[in-house]
Amino acid sequence: MFGQSRRTPLERVEYVLIVSTLLLLVVFTLQPLLNLLALSFTDPSKVAGFSGLSIVPDGFSTDVWTLLLQHPNVQRGLFNSIWMTATSVCIGVMGTALMAWGMSRPGLPGRRLIFILVLVTIVFEPGIIPDYFLMKRLGLLNTPWSVIMYKAISAWYLIILIRFFEEIPKELLEAAELDGANPFQTFFMVVLPLAKPALATIALFYLVLHWNEFFRSMIYLNDQSKWPLQVVLRQFVIEGDKIAIVGANNANNNIGIAQINIRALKAGMIFITILPILAIYPLILKFFTKGTMSGALKG
Amino acid sequence: MVAKDGQKISAVLSNGNVPALGAVVGGIGGGSGAIPVTSSGNFRAGLRQWWPYYAMMAPGLLFFFIWHYVPIWEAKMAFEQVRIIPPNIWVGLKNFQQLFSSPIFYSVLANTLIISGMKILLVFPVPIIVALLLNEIRNGKLRGVIQSAIYLPHFLSWVVIAGVFIALLSPTDGAVNQIQQSMGFGTTNYLTNTGTIRWVLVISEIWRSAGWDSLLYLAAIFAIDPQLYEAAEMDGANRWQKIRHVTIPGIVPTIATLFILNMGMFLSADLNQIINFQNDVNASTIDILDTYVYRLGLSTGEYALATAAGLFKAVIGMVLVVTSHLVSKRLTGKGVW
Repeated sequence: MFGQSRRTPLERVEYVLIVSTLLLLVVFTLQPLLNLLALSFTDPSKVAGFSGLSIVPDGFSTDVWTLLLQHPNVQRGLFNSIWMTATSVCIGVMGTALMAWGMSRPGLPGRRLIFILVLVTIVFEPGIIPDYFLMKRLGLLNTPWSVIMYKAISAWYLIILIRFFEEIPKELLEAAELDGANPFQTFFMVVLPLAKPALATIALFYLVLHWNEFFRSMIYLNDQSKWPLQVVLRQFVIEGDKIAIVGANNANNNIGIAQINIRALKAGMIFITILPILAIYPLILKFFTKGTMSGALKG
Repeated sequence: MVAKDGQKISAVLSNGNVPALGAVVGGIGGGSGAIPVTSSGNFRAGLRQWWPYYAMMAPGLLFFFIWHYVPIWEAKMAFEQVRIIPPNIWVGLKNFQQLFSSPIFYSVLANTLIISGMKILLVFPVPIIVALLLNEIRNGKLRGVIQSAIYLPHFLSWVVIAGVFIALLSPTDGAVNQIQQSMGFGTTNYLTNTGTIRWVLVISEIWRSAGWDSLLYLAAIFAIDPQLYEAAEMDGANRWQKIRHVTIPGIVPTIATLFILNMGMFLSADLNQIINFQNDVNASTIDILDTYVYRLGLSTGEYALATAAGLFKAVIGMVLVVTSHLVSKRLTGKGVW
């Protein structure tokens, strides 16, 4: 806002209005989240009167966090989410990179056909019922693999990587060939190291996609012990099933965990679920934003 | 609205120009004709040269075949009577006749169109405005802080966002009702009110995507030739004239492309969002095609009918995407692919 002495008064008023509008958007975006964060750290005795407008904890207590993090359902959800997401990301990055590498080679016979077949999957999705029957037929229902393999290779991310691989200078690949490298060696020792920023971006895409996945887990996994965190959160916060977290005995008696207001528990639960996203948010900003702004995914 | 596929689309868009899909397919069109695969001799030579690449692609190809093409085959269930003891019986269009004669189908279709229409009208323009405002901020640090804040909701799941909005709109201690009360308006339960729930969908969609989607337009704005602005300044243009005559024309192709992508998703209206905002009271107002398919198929066990409804959506959706692509190509010279 400084160093704009050449501006006319009208322009300054305009500028203030523009900045204010955007700051209002920032408040609209962050206030609801900060309110819940504050609520989760508020002293249990003061939760009942805690204002929806406040963003500072009233008193301070880590009871909600301690309780949730020690809760077997939350722990199991966290564990499931972490290993399922990690597995999906590994499969996704490897599978996408390998397929994109082949599809980026100009002379590959059938390249155009494969590309069209991939595009068709973007445009035409027959819906959840056929997907469900496929899982049933494969015997994957109620196993984590039904969820892990869902969107394991995303057509969109595949296209991004193909475009990146196509831009790798031919000279580098030819040099590797002259050194006697076979296509596998070229891929693993020349292409992959070059593609690190692009692979990191794709890995982040997959990570966010799979961490936030809840619908397929909801329909494929009957067994609560297999649920990822998002489904545990959904059962507690969206469906209002207190018993899942508080326990049947505690729900009706005013003892133990029930003394902590359900509202604060829900707030804490929401934050536990978004914690990993917040932890990698600086990376997300760096790779997602730069990837989009620079057009090419060169990091 | 771009929400569901936003991050993918954003990554595919380059410098605010048309999606890279065009470039990729174009490139492929040029290259693939080079090697004829008709004669067996060439084929064998080709195989010797290319088999390592096919080997590397095999896991991916297998995945696409099983996870995307087998379901297309499974969708034939829409034309069958599903029996507990296989095989199913082919019944032709009977399921579709049943679907189209059911009043629920039309109310669900109407809900879908209304919600998608509201989102196109009210959500779609917001990121464009946000990008125009962000572009006016010359202080890079301030802009960076604002961007970091408003991009965040895009990376949260709909379960989380619905949880946040349930708290925000709570009649007893939510921020919105507290403000309302302090101004003397009394309280409203927005989530169980059939008159307000669709607006909750619109606002929560804006909360989620207004920031992140603006990045696509901002990238397009940054790609505009600075000389155009200099020329406008020499002509004595003020801020608004520059926006109207330089910035907006510069991002029209991006707007058109994203509008098309949204039109292609018109029958989706976002299942992931709605399934988390739906409750017994508001269900009839925000019951969309996808929730209908889900309920019909996985709760009631009407597999064939549900598949028929899903197939109806898939086919119309495909027609929408392809049509809008062709229209856009006619009008702006650029399409989705």
